[in-house]
Amino acid sequence: MRDFFTNNVLGILLLTIAETLAILVPVLIGMAYSTFFERKALAAFQLRRGPNVVGPFGLWQPFADAVKVFTKETIVPAGASRSLFLLAPMLTFVLACLAWAVIPVNDNWAAANINVGILYLFAISSLGVYGIIIAGWASNSKYAFLGAMRSAAQMVSYEVSIGFVLVTVMLCVGSLNLNDVVRAQSHHWFAFTLLFPMFVVFLISMLAETNRAPFDLPEGESELVAGFFVEYSAMSFALFFLGEYTNMIMMSALGSVLFLGGWQAPFGLTFIPGVFWLAAKICVLMFFFFWVRATFPRFRYDQLMRLGWKVFLPLSLLWLVLTAGYLELTGTLPMEAL
Amino acid sequence: MNWALAAPELVLAVSALGILLNGVLRTRDSTILCTVLAVAVCVITAVLVIDTPTATAFGGLFVSDAFSRYSKLLILAGTVLCVVLSLDYNSRQRISRFEFPVLMLLSAVGMMVMSSANNLMTLYMGLELQSLAVYVLAAFARDDIRSAEAGLKYFVLSALASGLLLYGISLAYGFSGSMDFSRIAQAVMDPAGVSAGLTVGIAFIIAGLAFKLSAVPFHMWTPDVYEGAPTSVTAFMSTAPKVAPFVVLLRVMFGPFGHVTAQWQPIIVLISIASMLLGSFAAIAQTNIKRLMAYSSIGHMGYALVGLAAGTQTGVRGVLVYLLTYVVMSAGSFSCIVAMRRRGLAVDKIADLSGLARNDLTLATLLAIFMFSMAGVPPLAGFFGKLLVFQAAVDAGMWTLAIIGVLTSVVSCFYYLRVIKVMFFDASVAPFDVRSRSLSVVALATGAFTLIFFVYPAPFLGAANQAARALFG
Amino acid sequence: MIVAVAFYVFSAILLGSAAMVVTSRNPVHSVLFLILAFFNAAALFLIAGAEFLAMILVIVYVGAVAVLFLFVVMMLDVDFTALREGFQRYAPVGATVGVVLFFELASVLLGWRMSGDVSAAVLTRLPSHVQNTRAIGQVLYTDYFLLFQLSGLILLVAMIGAIVLTHRGRHTSKRQNITRQQERRVDETLQVVTVRSGAGIRELGLYRPIPVGREPVLAAPATTEVSTIVAQDQ
Repeated sequence: MRDFFTNNVLGILLLTIAETLAILVPVLIGMAYSTFFERKALAAFQLRRGPNVVGPFGLWQPFADAVKVFTKETIVPAGASRSLFLLAPMLTFVLACLAWAVIPVNDNWAAANINVGILYLFAISSLGVYGIIIAGWASNSKYAFLGAMRSAAQMVSYEVSIGFVLVTVMLCVGSLNLNDVVRAQSHHWFAFTLLFPMFVVFLISMLAETNRAPFDLPEGESELVAGFFVEYSAMSFALFFLGEYTNMIMMSALGSVLFLGGWQAPFGLTFIPGVFWLAAKICVLMFFFFWVRATFPRFRYDQLMRLGWKVFLPLSLLWLVLTAGYLELTGTLPMEAL
Repeated sequence: MNWALAAPELVLAVSALGILLNGVLRTRDSTILCTVLAVAVCVITAVLVIDTPTATAFGGLFVSDAFSRYSKLLILAGTVLCVVLSLDYNSRQRISRFEFPVLMLLSAVGMMVMSSANNLMTLYMGLELQSLAVYVLAAFARDDIRSAEAGLKYFVLSALASGLLLYGISLAYGFSGSMDFSRIAQAVMDPAGVSAGLTVGIAFIIAGLAFKLSAVPFHMWTPDVYEGAPTSVTAFMSTAPKVAPFVVLLRVMFGPFGHVTAQWQPIIVLISIASMLLGSFAAIAQTNIKRLMAYSSIGHMGYALVGLAAGTQTGVRGVLVYLLTYVVMSAGSFSCIVAMRRRGLAVDKIADLSGLARNDLTLATLLAIFMFSMAGVPPLAGFFGKLLVFQAAVDAGMWTLAIIGVLTSVVSCFYYLRVIKVMFFDASVAPFDVRSRSLSVVALATGAFTLIFFVYPAPFLGAANQAARALFG
Repeated sequence: MIVAVAFYVFSAILLGSAAMVVTSRNPVHSVLFLILAFFNAAALFLIAGAEFLAMILVIVYVGAVAVLFLFVVMMLDVDFTALREGFQRYAPVGATVGVVLFFELASVLLGWRMSGDVSAAVLTRLPSHVQNTRAIGQVLYTDYFLLFQLSGLILLVAMIGAIVLTHRGRHTSKRQNITRQQERRVDETLQVVTVRSGAGIRELGLYRPIPVGREPVLAAPATTEVSTIVAQDQ
C-alpha cells in the first residue's frame, strides 16, 4: 500500500490530489467565514449588528452570497480584452491557493516540504500583482487602469521591504525551509526577539501586499469607484474577492510561520495539536486585518510611497545589518559545514 | 584574499560613495566641493596605485602588475583632467550637478578594474561599470534633445556590443573550459588544437572591445555621440574610456590568447587599417570640431592598433606611449574646445575659430600645438607615439601596415592643419567669452607636456617598457 | 518518466511562448507571453535541480522586471505598426548580418558532437547533501566576492543615472512634512473669532481659505458671543 503511494505514478497523483484537497478545503471554508467575521467585526466596531438574518447569527450568510454570485450573469464590457479579462480573476485566485503548498501545518506536514519554501512563497506573492494589472488593463476602463497602476507600484514597493524581512529571518534560521523556520522558534518566537521591528514592518507590508485598508488605494472606492475590479460582476468578481481573502489568510499564515512560531504551542501546551495553534495564530492576524480596517483612514498615495521607500526600506536594511552583526558577534549565526 | 592589492579601487569606490552622500545630504549646491574632493581622491588613489605590489588577488580574479599600474595612472590622469575641465563648462551650461564627478569616479573604478582584470568576468564587470556611467554622462544635459539622443544611441549600440562581448566570452569559456586568463592560456597552448568556436569567440570579444574603442567597423556611434553629448563628457569619452578597453584588449590578446596570435592578428590588422583610412578621410569633410575630434579619435585608435597588430613587446610599448600622448593631447584639445563660447553660448563649428589668433593668441597657440601633435609633427609628443608603433610594425615585418599608417597620417595632416589655418589666417570674428582659470590650467599643463615631452621622455618610455615587459613576462 | 514528460511539456510551452513574444501584434500580449516563457524556464531549472535559480528567476524577472515592462508597455501605447514601417527598407541589411552570423554559428555547430549522457559532462558535482542555495552562497561571498561587490556598484550607477536623468525637484505638488505637522500647536492653526450674530463671515472680512501669510482681518468688535472656528490654510 505504502509502495503504491510512493512509487506508482497513479498513486503519487492520487496522494497529491488528496493532500491538496486536505489543505485547500479548510482554507476555502476559512476564507468564506473570514468574510462573515470581517462583517461581524466591523459591525461591532461601528456599533451595528452585522449580518444576522440568514441562519442562526447569520452564519449561512457566506453561502447565501455564494449562491447569489453564482446565479448572476458575468458581463464582459465591450472593448475589453476578453481572454485576459477572464484570465485575471482566475490568476488571482489560483496564485492565492498555490502558496499554500509549502505552509507547514504541523511538524513536517506540508503538501510540499521544499528546500526553498521561503523563496517560493516570496515568488508567489510577488506574482499577485499580475492578476490586478491584467484586470485593470483588460477592462478598458480608466478607473480600473488607474487602480491597476497604483496597485503595481504599491505591491512592487512593499515587496522590497518584505524581501528584507524574509532575509533577516533566514539569517536567524540558516535555512530556507519553512519547517526549519518553525523549528528554530521552539524556544523563542521571533516576534519577541531582536526581530520585533521586522515583525512590525512585516505586519504593515502585509496590509500593503494584500491591498487592504489602509493601503486599499487600488480599490479606493471613494475616488476610483472600485478600482481594478470595477468592471467585474458575478463569478469573476467573486474570484477576486476569494483571492483577496485567501491571500489575507496566506499572509497571516506566513506571518505566523515566520514570527509567531507556526505550529509551535505556547506555554508548553503541547497536548493540543499544532494544526490548532497555527489556525489560532492565523485568526489573530486576520483579526489584525479587520481591526486596522476599522481603525485607520486610507493613506494618501504619496504617504504610502514615502512609508515604503523612505521608512521601511532603510529601516529593514539597517535591521538586517544589525541582526547579522549581532548574530556574528554573539557567535549564534546558524552555520553548517558545507 | 589579498585585499590590499585592490586598495586603490576600494578607496576610489568608497570615496565616490562618500562624495555622493555628501552631495545628497547637503541642501545647498555642492558641485564645486564634490569636484574638488573628486580630484583629491584621484590623487590619493594614484599614490596608492604606485604603491601596490605585483601579485594576484581574489582567487585569481584580479591582478596587479606594472602594466595595470601604468594603465591605472593613465586612467586617473585622464579622469582628473576631465573632472577639472568640466567644472566651468557644466556650470555655464547650467548642467552642473554633484553627480557628475561621482559618475566619473565610478566610471574610473570600472576602468581600473578592467585594467586589472585577470578573468573574463572581472573584465565584463569593469566594462559595464565604466560604460553605464558614461551612458548617463552622455545624456547629462537632459533638457538638450541632442544630448538625450547621444545618450540613448550610445546606450543601445553599446548594449549590443556588450552582448557581442558576452557571447564571445561564453564561447571562449565553452571551448577553453575556463574564464581565468592563465588557465585559458594553458588550455589553448597548442595553436593547432584551437577549435573554430574559440576563434569565433575571440572575434566576438574583439568586436565588443573595438566598439568601445570606436574602431572601424564599430565606429558608427562615435561622431553622433561626440557631437550630441555635452563637450565636457565628450572630453572624458575621448580620454580615459579609450585607454581602459585598449589595455584590456592588450591583456586579453597577449594573456589568454597569447599563443593563438594567428587567430586574432588578421582581425586586428583589418580593423586597424580600416580605422586609419576612415579616420583620415571622413574627417576631411567635417565642419563641426567635435565631429572632427570623433573621426580623429577613430584614426588614432587605428594607429594605436598597429602596435597591437605587431604582436611584439615593442609594439605594446608603442601602444602604451601612444595612449599616454593621446590622453594628454585629447584632454588639451578639448580644454580649448570647451573654451569656445560666445555670449554665453557654446559654439562648436570650425568656422567659429576663425581668426582666433588675433583675439586670443594663447588659446590659438595651444590648440595649434595640440593639432600639430595629433598630426604627428616632430618633435611634439604625438610624434613619438606614432614613431614607436610604426617602428614596431616595421620590426615585425608588417610593412603594409606601416606604410598605410604613414600615408593616412599625411592625409590627416590636412584637416588638422586646416584648423590651424582657420585660426591664424582667416578673418577674425567676435572674440570668445573670457575663459575660466581652471580651463587655462588644464590647457597650459597639457600643452606644456605635449611641447616638451621630447626633452626628457625617458621616464615615460621606461615605465611603458616595464609595463610591456610585465605583460609578456 | 514523469520528469521526461514534464521536461518536454515545459520546453514546448517555453519555445511556443517565446515565439509568441516576437509575433504577437499587441505588445501587452508579448510581455505576458514573455512572463509565461520565464515561468517555464523556471520550471526547467527546477527539473534540473537548480531550485534556487528557479525561484530567483521568478522573483526577479517575473515579480519585478516584467511588472515594470508591463507598466511601461501599458502606459506608452506604442504604435507597433508605425515601428514596423522601416522593416522592408532595412530588411536586406538585417538579413545580410543575420546570414553571416548564421554561418558563423553553423561553423561552430559543425564542430560539435552530441554527448550521449549530459550528466557525465558536469565538471564539478555537488555533494548530494548540499543544497544548491547554500552552495551558491559559499562561492558567491568568497571566491567571487569582488564580482559581487562590482555588480552592486553597477546597480548603484544605474540608480544614480535614473535619478539624475529623470528627477526634477518640482515644488508644485504639496508635500507632507511630518515633523512640521507634529510640531504644530493648536493656537498656530486655529483661531477663535467672535462673530456678530446674523453677520456672515464675508461681512467681517473673513474668507475661507485665508490667503497664506495674511492675518485675518477683524471687522468691528462683535456684539454677540458667537464663536466660529476658522481653520487657517496650511
